[in-house]
Amino acid sequence: MSFRSFKSTIDEGDTVILYLTIHQIYSVKAEVKTLSKKGVLIDNVFQTQYGALKCGDLIGQKYGTKIQLSKGWGYVLQPTPELWTLTLPHRTQIIYTPDISMIILQLELAPGSIVIESGTGSGSLSHAFIRSVKPHGHLHTFDFHEQRVQTVEEEFKDHGLIEWVTVKKRDVCSEGFGSELEHRADAVFLDLPHPWLAVPHSKLALKETGGRICSFSPCIEQVQKTCLILLKLGFHEIQTIEIIQTQYSIQTRSIGVLNLDFVKVKKCEDSQEKQEKEILRTVTAVPPTTQPGHTGFLTFATLPPIWARTLAQENNDLCTDCV
Amino acid sequence: MEENTIKVGNYVIIQRQNYTKLQKMKENCTVTLGKDVIDIDAVLGHRYDETFRMVLKSGTKRTYMLEEVSQLTLTNNTQVEESGIDNRDIIDDGKSQTLSKSEIENLRDRALSSGDIVQKLVENSRTFNSKTEYSQEKYLKKKEKKYFEYIQVRKPSIRLLAQMFYRQDPNKTLGIRLDDLSQLLTYANVHSDGHYLLYDSGTSGLVAASILNSIGHDTRGHLVHMHPGNECQKSALQAMHFPDEQQRRCINVNLYSVLRCYHQNDIPELTTETDTAKRKQTEEDTQQRKKPTWQYENERACRILREQVDGLIIVAKEHPVNVTKELIAFLKGDRCVVVFSLVREPLQDLYFHLKERTDFVSINLSSNFMRSYQVLPERTHPEVSMNFGGYILTAYKLIKLTC
Ligand SMILES: C[S@@+](CC[C@H](N)C(=O)[O-])C[C@H]1O[C@@H](n2cnc3c(N)ncnc32)[C@H](O)[C@@H]1O
Repeated sequence: MSFRSFKSTIDEGDTVILYLTIHQIYSVKAEVKTLSKKGVLIDNVFQTQYGALKCGDLIGQKYGTKIQLSKGWGYVLQPTPELWTLTLPHRTQIIYTPDISMIILQLELAPGSIVIESGTGSGSLSHAFIRSVKPHGHLHTFDFHEQRVQTVEEEFKDHGLIEWVTVKKRDVCSEGFGSELEHRADAVFLDLPHPWLAVPHSKLALKETGGRICSFSPCIEQVQKTCLILLKLGFHEIQTIEIIQTQYSIQTRSIGVLNLDFVKVKKCEDSQEKQEKEILRTVTAVPPTTQPGHTGFLTFATLPPIWARTLAQENNDLCTDCV
Repeated sequence: MEENTIKVGNYVIIQRQNYTKLQKMKENCTVTLGKDVIDIDAVLGHRYDETFRMVLKSGTKRTYMLEEVSQLTLTNNTQVEESGIDNRDIIDDGKSQTLSKSEIENLRDRALSSGDIVQKLVENSRTFNSKTEYSQEKYLKKKEKKYFEYIQVRKPSIRLLAQMFYRQDPNKTLGIRLDDLSQLLTYANVHSDGHYLLYDSGTSGLVAASILNSIGHDTRGHLVHMHPGNECQKSALQAMHFPDEQQRRCINVNLYSVLRCYHQNDIPELTTETDTAKRKQTEEDTQQRKKPTWQYENERACRILREQVDGLIIVAKEHPVNVTKELIAFLKGDRCVVVFSLVREPLQDLYFHLKERTDFVSINLSSNFMRSYQVLPERTHPEVSMNFGGYILTAYKLIKLTC
């Protein structure tokens, strides 16, 4: 239940973030026993580079404290959507925080918003959506993959979020989002191989007072098809962007300085060799040698309110270069 | 539909194609867009996102009234008779347009529609017909943009405000770009049920408005908004037109004065903040109400600081180390501090400071590359101009157990 609201103590069953180093960060469950892959009840022990952690021992500890491991230590943090995105079990490709942040701001979500998402995938984005819209909003999320739908629904229950989310198994490209969601949504988000097929259904689901849509696609061909249909269906402010985050390592570098003055004077036997090597220390932020250079293109658009729709469409024809 | 009607007192965003401007609606209100002065009285009582046409006021030059449009006089009707295959014969000697500047201005003053003006420009261009179809289209778009006579009135949102401030002048918001803003909110875990502390030395109220927007209406979250001046910058807060109950949960206080209050004053206890009816009867409250607002707000802020906050956000013109050092005392353990800066070096200093303290983990410094794309059939490419955002430092505070 550790996603529901801020809390200070780890309760049994909580999902807990185990922070070792910036590159070693995991999620564990505060439970004494767990089911093995074979379905047998075994001790819930998590192996780390710094020794084993008996997860049951976490119960009753405070979030934000240091915990002892047999060969070192770690820290336990309460999960946030950001930490969950870094540690969740991948069942699909997922969307990461830099894109998620932009999606939430550009979809103009706030507590009370009704948002539709497809596909649910591993639920990385869903957790951030739920945080944005609760306590009086709702997420309706769709995936056509039976197993993923079940797993993610279990997670939402386990995380104490189920009252703000409805998970449905459905092929949204062929079946849409259902009549019960017609003109109900403030925003629609698509992360699908064929997003353009879901755009007409999205338009139907958006409120008559208008709303925002976003489609995340790795390939530019997907973007082109999506933009065309958005334009055709009267969306405006169509905009495609990409965001790449770089994380730096802050270092103090010692850099040797070449002193070339001595070449201009005659070599003088004794003093030459003993000259101290000059070292300059400089603080710098070093990017990683390799990092993701592409995640996906984010295409955003606005569906104007019903009273402005046809006009917006014509406006669009006039200024396609704002596309 | 009430909330979609444009009323006196509302802040609205006037949009002409991609150009936007924030405006407070008053009676007899005019707005200046470039060289054009527009009387926008006519939009009162209309709904947001409707389109209006600029109509020249008789006897004036470039002063317009607005007229509601139900149908756009479509401008793309310019007759294209001929196109060239490529541009080998086009010589740009500045003489291709035979109309003089003043003749063109004249067309404008005669209140011709943008479509008519463009048609005239095409008729009087020596080279238009030998341009390629692609260049012709580009030419038409460019000209139509210049003479575009339609405006829309938009309801402010965080997205529109952030984009507008950034486009007008990034300095108005300390250089914060949309992606930076979006990440401050997620990394600080801003949502409906937390108390947050912001130090902001000049983003036109944008960061405070964004946090308050994410805290939401009818929720329990609060924002303590510290600023360095006499008055906080609040354009964005006003533009968002939050309901009173929500606006009241943004407590605007001067940095020095609230800290002085925290360290030097006794802060009177209140049973519950919302319990106004009860408070009115108590003697203490009679005193309370005699206090100037700023003092009352300082005390409200101090009560929240004493309980500590769930997220700390710093967007400072000043060097961030000292202010962060002071304010992280108010951050609960297990929560995140997020600091934005347009330049990297001060955050490197902050990094070392936090590293030394040993009660921070996961100290991260990052920046973003962001670019937009033009997506058109056969003509998709990154936008030719791009810009640079700032740097964000995030870190989780630990609880120091006294053992
Ligand atoms: C890349 S994943 C989404 C990841 C998700 N955004 C996240 O952050 O965890 C794409 C998902 O879309 C689902 N999907 C693909 N086509 C679909 C369709 N037509 N209807 C519903 N779901 C679909 C897939 O099963 C897959 O789980």
